[in-house]
Amino acid sequence: MSHENGRVSASEETAEFKATISRRQFLQRVGIVAGLVVVGAIPAVLTSPETLPSADGAESGAPTLASKINPLQHIIDQDQPVNYPGKPVWYADPAGNQKWAMVIDVKACVGCRKCVYACVKENNIGRNSGFTYIKVLEMEPGSVDLETSNANYTEGGSPDKWYLPVQCMHCAKPTCVYGCPVKATWKEPDGIVLIDYNKCIACRNCIVTCPYAARHFNWVDPEVPKAEINPKVPLQQKSGVVEKCTFCVQRTRNGMTTACTEACPVGARKFGDLNDPNSDVSVLIRTRRAFRLKEDLGSGPMIWYVG
Amino acid sequence: MTDATAKSRPGVVRFIGVDFDFGALKAASPRYWTWVGVLGAFMAVGAVAWLVYMTHGGAVMAMRDGTPWGLWFTNYMYYVGLAAGGLVVYASVHLFGAEQFRPLSRLAVLLAGVLVMLALLGIVTDMERPWRAVWMLLTPNPTSPFVYTGSAANIYMIICFVDLWVLITGKGGHKLALTMTLIALPAAIYLHTTTAFVLSMNKSRELWHSAMMVPIFLTSATASGVSLLLIVAYIVQSLTKMKFKPSMFRSLSTLLATVMIIDLFMLVVEILSIFWPTSAEPGHTIRMMEFFTGTYTWFFVPVLVLGGTAFALLSRRKTRHLPAVQITAASLYVFAVFLKRYSLEGMGFVRDPLGQYIGLYVPSAVEIFLALGILAFGMLLVTLALKVLPIEVPEDDGHGEPVIDYDAEFNAAARAELEPEVAS
Ligand code: SF4
Ligand code: SF4
Repeated sequence: MSHENGRVSASEETAEFKATISRRQFLQRVGIVAGLVVVGAIPAVLTSPETLPSADGAESGAPTLASKINPLQHIIDQDQPVNYPGKPVWYADPAGNQKWAMVIDVKACVGCRKCVYACVKENNIGRNSGFTYIKVLEMEPGSVDLETSNANYTEGGSPDKWYLPVQCMHCAKPTCVYGCPVKATWKEPDGIVLIDYNKCIACRNCIVTCPYAARHFNWVDPEVPKAEINPKVPLQQKSGVVEKCTFCVQRTRNGMTTACTEACPVGARKFGDLNDPNSDVSVLIRTRRAFRLKEDLGSGPMIWYVG
Repeated sequence: MTDATAKSRPGVVRFIGVDFDFGALKAASPRYWTWVGVLGAFMAVGAVAWLVYMTHGGAVMAMRDGTPWGLWFTNYMYYVGLAAGGLVVYASVHLFGAEQFRPLSRLAVLLAGVLVMLALLGIVTDMERPWRAVWMLLTPNPTSPFVYTGSAANIYMIICFVDLWVLITGKGGHKLALTMTLIALPAAIYLHTTTAFVLSMNKSRELWHSAMMVPIFLTSATASGVSLLLIVAYIVQSLTKMKFKPSMFRSLSTLLATVMIIDLFMLVVEILSIFWPTSAEPGHTIRMMEFFTGTYTWFFVPVLVLGGTAFALLSRRKTRHLPAVQITAASLYVFAVFLKRYSLEGMGFVRDPLGQYIGLYVPSAVEIFLALGILAFGMLLVTLALKVLPIEVPEDDGHGEPVIDYDAEFNAAARAELEPEVAS
């Protein structure tokens, strides 16, 4: 979906909204397919026609908000802490007042896995562990069909495929957190889902409940060459427990972006704060036709895809 | 064996109102001790396997991120299910007055308690740091099905052993036995329901995500549990002084045939809804196909074949009372339900939530020896209990219920009708 398509009149918005509803009903029957949702426009249409985002603003690339209400407020409202013990996890700084989100441009992604390698280095993932936080799925053209996708392709950049990077979505309704019997994993106030490695009982129920296969168990003691250890990220404590993407909590709570966002050579990844209506992610979600993976499950992933 | 003569025998220790007959162990045959030795050997191998796991970590298991749970979870579902048989028998006696099951009641409750203990042992030995389980008590998460099934299993195990004590001592008479049943029955339903919830409450795993899982768990549990009880009763009868009446086995078989067909029916309905064109979702169908033409074919198709055969064997009224038929059918079903649990676990894991093909999970040697060690431990407990504890129900079991001779009734009413047919 190109940027020009973001320019729509009020009546077109309404029509698109209606079409989306029927499409979503259809998609629920189809199963694992995410719907195209005009996320930003829905509450505006529902409340009053005057609050519609200005089409001109979207075109000029400098969106101005016609209303004081953040059009993404309904998403922010859903993204609340779950099972948060009241203090930040021991290996991270306290959460700020952001609501973190990510947008991945699947039109730009070439499947080079630069993000995967950067993530492995940044997050002390055992080089012997046999998993990575990020999986890039090589998708068949024509559909968002996970069953025909391939996570183990050798080289990216195939012209008749497209690439879908998947990692922990930091869901608004995180089934992993709901499923953990001992509250060893939770969602912090800024939306990041974290694990207390010293508390995890290794039941692996969260691996079972996560709809995005985002969680990984350390079946072996993770090993990282001494020179490459990131001192800001736990390593030994992760032995024999579950770990996953943390939205680079050690970086993002200190004013940096995630390692994967930084590493992407084509700028397909954008990371930012939904509370800020002018952040990259807010603007992209509002103005582009964004979809989320397995939207029909209602887990409210905080990673959007635009194409 | 609560009579005065028992107390005068050497080796009998009276503790919490129960006569523990340790003297019987001394008098036990060499065959008995060989059997105990075999079990001990398996337990030793299991202990070594557990030590290997504790020192080397999860890498020695065949479980990986794609199959985060392995044989221990199959066995958890299986043992918890098998324990249901005890309750069905026990509840039938005290709630519905099915007097023909009374001679089996102590054995049934003992088996149930031991089986749930084995299920829990599977969980504990799967934990690399078992002491962290204390968080289950300190910060239990009310939205996690795991909390419910774990606590239910613990509670149910305790109920079983208290039940056994009530049955043996006869304390509280018929009234306490009835009260215990009224506690145990909901507890058992709670246990099976929450165990099913561990699977069904997952929108991430398509084939598990079905409310049908709960009734299927209940019927599979009952069918396999009663089957096991029937087999054990025959074994105990042939090895010990305990004797059961043919009418009891007949009633068990009738019950079995009924539960089996309900169990199979629900499975077939579930499969139908996965493949029916107006209902089939690609994610479900592609996974289910693995169980008919894919990697799990040899685990799942036998569930239907063996289950169907077992039902067919027991459904024939003419042959249902034959011990050979009963034992064959019950064995087939006990095995079928194990395969069913194994397949059920595979249904969640054959592809991961991102659609990636994971394939067949085959447990590693460490997992298998660990599981065998746990099983041997359970068998040892039962073996010892059969010698030491008064498992045999005396004519007057202390609950003040008259013993009705169902055989005599059956003889009068039915045998006259059936026997000529069998003979011909
Ligand atoms: S993607 Fe999985 S691990 Fe991440 S928050 Fe959602 S359910 Fe939890
Ligand atoms: S593996 Fe750890 S984090 Fe995951 S559900 Fe179990 S205790 Fe919680």
